[in-house]
Amino acid sequence: MALLENAFEENLLTTKVDWLLNWAKLNSIWPMTFGLACCAIEMMAVGAAHHDIDRFGAGAFRATPRQADLMIVAGTVNFKMAERVKRLYDQMPFPKYVIAMGACATGGGPYYKYGYTVVKGVDRVVPVDIYIAGCPPRPEALLEGLMALQKKIRNTSVIRKPAQIA
Amino acid sequence: MDFQGIHDHLRAIEAPGLVRADEPRLPNPEDKKDKGRSGDAYVVVEAAQLASFLRVCRDDERLAFEILADLTAADPAKDAEEFWVIVQLLSVQHRHRLAIKALVPKASARIPSATGVYRAAQWHERECAEMFGIEFVGHPDPRNILLPDDWEGYPLRKDYVFPTEYRGISCQ
Repeated sequence: MALLENAFEENLLTTKVDWLLNWAKLNSIWPMTFGLACCAIEMMAVGAAHHDIDRFGAGAFRATPRQADLMIVAGTVNFKMAERVKRLYDQMPFPKYVIAMGACATGGGPYYKYGYTVVKGVDRVVPVDIYIAGCPPRPEALLEGLMALQKKIRNTSVIRKPAQIA
Repeated sequence: MDFQGIHDHLRAIEAPGLVRADEPRLPNPEDKKDKGRSGDAYVVVEAAQLASFLRVCRDDERLAFEILADLTAADPAKDAEEFWVIVQLLSVQHRHRLAIKALVPKASARIPSATGVYRAAQWHERECAEMFGIEFVGHPDPRNILLPDDWEGYPLRKDYVFPTEYRGISCQ
């Protein structure tokens, strides 16, 4: 902060509460370490230096749901796992978000027809905010999904409920 | 030894339960309907004798199959009378392999467990049991290995009916 240090007189900063809270929220979406299949490899690539998810403040992969804001469901969810997914989601503190990454998490993917034990979309277990297409999606696609989530958060309001649509 | 040599040796030592050898062959040019057979050579073994047959394969000095490379099952067709239980053996010291097939009737799918001979068979047999409903008699730990404990039906059977829901999650 050396550049900005003493650059301003003692000053007032005016902003909207929503804007400030959302700014803080959307720039520190901590995801949960949660890889289920090959999509997780792409997710790891996003975490690594080349794509660098840290640019979006979402690089702090937490090893516990209690510290995470975002669950990236990266891979195939089967029925045995679905219970755990639900439990992990329930353990996350509000506000919490879910990204369904890839074809499997979105709708069963290649296992849609004959995958007897694959959940046909993780949205049957937990509410999903962002769906990312691809099998697996490119790292850029996950980043775009993250940016879409940030956009979604930017449009939320904490101080007053959005007007009811009749 | 090659397959022929192994088979001859199994005959010579009168391995228990050995039924016949089945080898791939070219189609007969005289007979248009004969398509031959592709795939591996294998020996067919009586299901009830499989464990004692494997014991002989492991303990015989000239065979010396130390490793159970795979144990799996197959349901060849919906109207087939039997499941196949297929065992792949490997001998490192003699550098030879053997494929074994045992036919298990679908009506009473029971076969002695190979875990007493090869401990590696444990997980393989658990998978076969849950996927095909074959009972491996004498298995020390016959729980499901992949599927949830309360799963109904045997998914790899040809006549398997897909579930409509599992614990409230729709499967359609």
